[in-house]
Amino acid sequence: MMKFNIRLWICVATLLANAAMAGDLRIGMSADITSMDPHAVNITPNNNIGWHVFDALVHVDADARIAPGLAQSWRAVDDTTWEFKLRRNVKFHDGSPFTADDVLFSMDRAEKLPNGQYASFVQRLTDRRAVDPYTVRVKTATPYAMVPYDLNSIFIVSKKAAANASPEDFNNGKAMIGTGPFRFTRFARGDRVELAKNPTYWGGAPAWDKVIFRIIPNDPARIAALLSGDIDAIEAIPTPDLARIRADKRFRLAQKVSWRTIFFHMDQWRDVSPFVTDRSGKPLPKNPLKDVNVRLAISKAINRQAIVERLMENAAIPASNLVSPPVFGHVAAIKPEANDPEAAKQLLARAGYPDGFALTLHAPNNRYVNDDQIAQSVAQMLTRVGISTKVETMPINVYLPKARNGDFSFSMLGWGSFSGDLALRALLATPNADKGYGAWNWSRYANPAMDKLLDQGFATVDEKKREGIAREAAAIALKDQAVIPIHHQIAVWAMKANINYVARTDEYTFAHHMK
Amino acid sequence: MNDTVHDPSALPATLPGFAPRFARDSVALAALAMLALLILAAIFAPWIAPQNPYDLAQLDLMDSKLAPGAAGADGRHFLLGTDEQGRDIFSAILYGMRTSLIAGSVSTVLALIIGLFFGLCAAWFRGWVDAIIMRVADLQLSFPSILIALVLLAALGQGLDKIIFALVAVQWAYYARTARAAGMAEREKDYLSAAIALGLKTPRIIFRHLLPNCLPPLMVVATVQIAAAISLEATLSFLGLGLPITEPSLGLLIANGYAHLLSGKYWISFFPGLTLLVLIVCINLVADRLRDLFDPRRTDTGSN
Repeated sequence: MMKFNIRLWICVATLLANAAMAGDLRIGMSADITSMDPHAVNITPNNNIGWHVFDALVHVDADARIAPGLAQSWRAVDDTTWEFKLRRNVKFHDGSPFTADDVLFSMDRAEKLPNGQYASFVQRLTDRRAVDPYTVRVKTATPYAMVPYDLNSIFIVSKKAAANASPEDFNNGKAMIGTGPFRFTRFARGDRVELAKNPTYWGGAPAWDKVIFRIIPNDPARIAALLSGDIDAIEAIPTPDLARIRADKRFRLAQKVSWRTIFFHMDQWRDVSPFVTDRSGKPLPKNPLKDVNVRLAISKAINRQAIVERLMENAAIPASNLVSPPVFGHVAAIKPEANDPEAAKQLLARAGYPDGFALTLHAPNNRYVNDDQIAQSVAQMLTRVGISTKVETMPINVYLPKARNGDFSFSMLGWGSFSGDLALRALLATPNADKGYGAWNWSRYANPAMDKLLDQGFATVDEKKREGIAREAAAIALKDQAVIPIHHQIAVWAMKANINYVARTDEYTFAHHMK
Repeated sequence: MNDTVHDPSALPATLPGFAPRFARDSVALAALAMLALLILAAIFAPWIAPQNPYDLAQLDLMDSKLAPGAAGADGRHFLLGTDEQGRDIFSAILYGMRTSLIAGSVSTVLALIIGLFFGLCAAWFRGWVDAIIMRVADLQLSFPSILIALVLLAALGQGLDKIIFALVAVQWAYYARTARAAGMAEREKDYLSAAIALGLKTPRIIFRHLLPNCLPPLMVVATVQIAAAISLEATLSFLGLGLPITEPSLGLLIANGYAHLLSGKYWISFFPGLTLLVLIVCINLVADRLRDLFDPRRTDTGSN
């Protein structure tokens, strides 16, 4: 009898253990999650959690194209008015129904939260009103085609739960009531976020009872945690370990060309650029980077294929555009510049630099995949065609303020965008704070023809027409060699072989898309 | 009148007979020989190394991460393999060792001079001079040296001169303390009373009489500290502070290879690490032997 009892208990315990194992998913995240408040700090790791607990009116699919979310459909009523039809019978985690009031409340909160970083996505919406509980209308001062894109960034919180809530109320879970596929359980800063299944999710209940996001920024530690079976899936596989994971039958990789493009900005506004000199270190009479032939020579000097193969272990594709091929507004007709050092030397000679010149290249060393290594490789390639290049790297929090301040001459940036025209608006439009143009235009590239096309595109509600205009604008900047695109990253996830993930262009790691 | 008054018991080991006594310990002798070899290799690196690893034009990305002995794109063989940038590890080690030795020795000499000056001043003047200098030294020694160096380098930026500055800043206090202790003991001795009685000027007493007699313990501390300075420099480089990435020192080479260890490309980290280990062990063995010889309480029979 005694023996039987023990066997029974072992049996039950084993079953229970298996059941718990089957329903739990532990994911290793590569970057720190700083806040649970979906309207506070606009960084990918925070938004990643936001997408699990909350939802937005507009979703983005795996190819970075917009798709219906909490809004079932939308249309432009006229040039300056947009109408969103909300999904019916959607419930918040506390059981209360989702209505237009929650949408208006969330927009207001995003706009007014002190130090909130999501205000720019709703500021253009001058008038916001509920036509009925399931219809929202917003107005813009001037025709603006990007309203659905902007609303992809506004997470919808519950008006009931989040009225007067501070970011701290979200961090401790009091206000963490959304309509998303998972309910919030616990946030341990710097360590983990724990979530539980929302069985009544409108998009279908997720496959996992419990999801634990573990924050493991150290690459070898994250890989080691996966190899040891401590966690089930990780994002951002360090490139040196790709081959090893690929060869290991216990694991599976999911990968997709990401929307993130690595490129170099070049000082095109100063006549004397701080980090460009002749080869002996003396100042040059004019800034060679202002000459399109010099910029083309630089582009030809770079062997993108070698960087992709040798440094990125093929977790990237050579770039010709600011946005990667799946993204709206990519110009397929413009191919990555072929590596041709001889042509580069000739172009330099023709531009008046037969002996080349010298420059210092700046890059971050902890932000993009292999950023400091890419910087060194580009420097060796430039040096070989006569542009004697030094490399200075620094942590991203030191790097960004300096770059924005215009301290550099030749500097690396990585950028992900929904669309080519949005990328151009941020990166290459003539800087204009009122219009929100050129906030990241470190090159200070200025081309009125391109600016005009951007204006025209953002006022064009028809998506097909807008994409045509976006391509035209991109072609102008690319033919000017306004920046030097290097590659588009390929986002890679690794997971146990019995898990499947639909890899995403936007690099988000969604537990509800793991099966 | 002969105004240098020597204490016959001071500097016991700087005289003839020192070398044979040192050589009686064969391990120390071997370490010294190895150290000499490494120093020579570092000095003559530009002539020995098959490649200048700091010249970007000589690197080829197509040679990246080759295994030891593999042939590169132009048919050249890489004895110890290459790193991500196609940099010859053997050449990089030779050049990296230069950086390590320069940073270690220059910072040690500077820290020794500064520490000696403040330590002797404290010992001689006592009172508030002593109190201020020693409290500053205590304050500094109460922080881990790596922390102070990290903060300094974060503020100063990259470069060999800045590394040396940071190393001096974290090390001078050790010498100041040792010099003060030695100076305090010497101060009570008769030869100094004699020097004072002769009416010699204070700087002359401190630097001509007190200083030479305080040197032996400091020399031992300095030899040990060179090793500490070298490993601190390697630590700082490993953490990405210190030298530009295009001029890797041993620590940075190890850090670069660290990411490749799991995938089996051991050589990027292993060989620089091994070099660093041998370098530091050799210096420590030599320093140990020196300490034994300088220690008056130990009678050297050649058997230990």
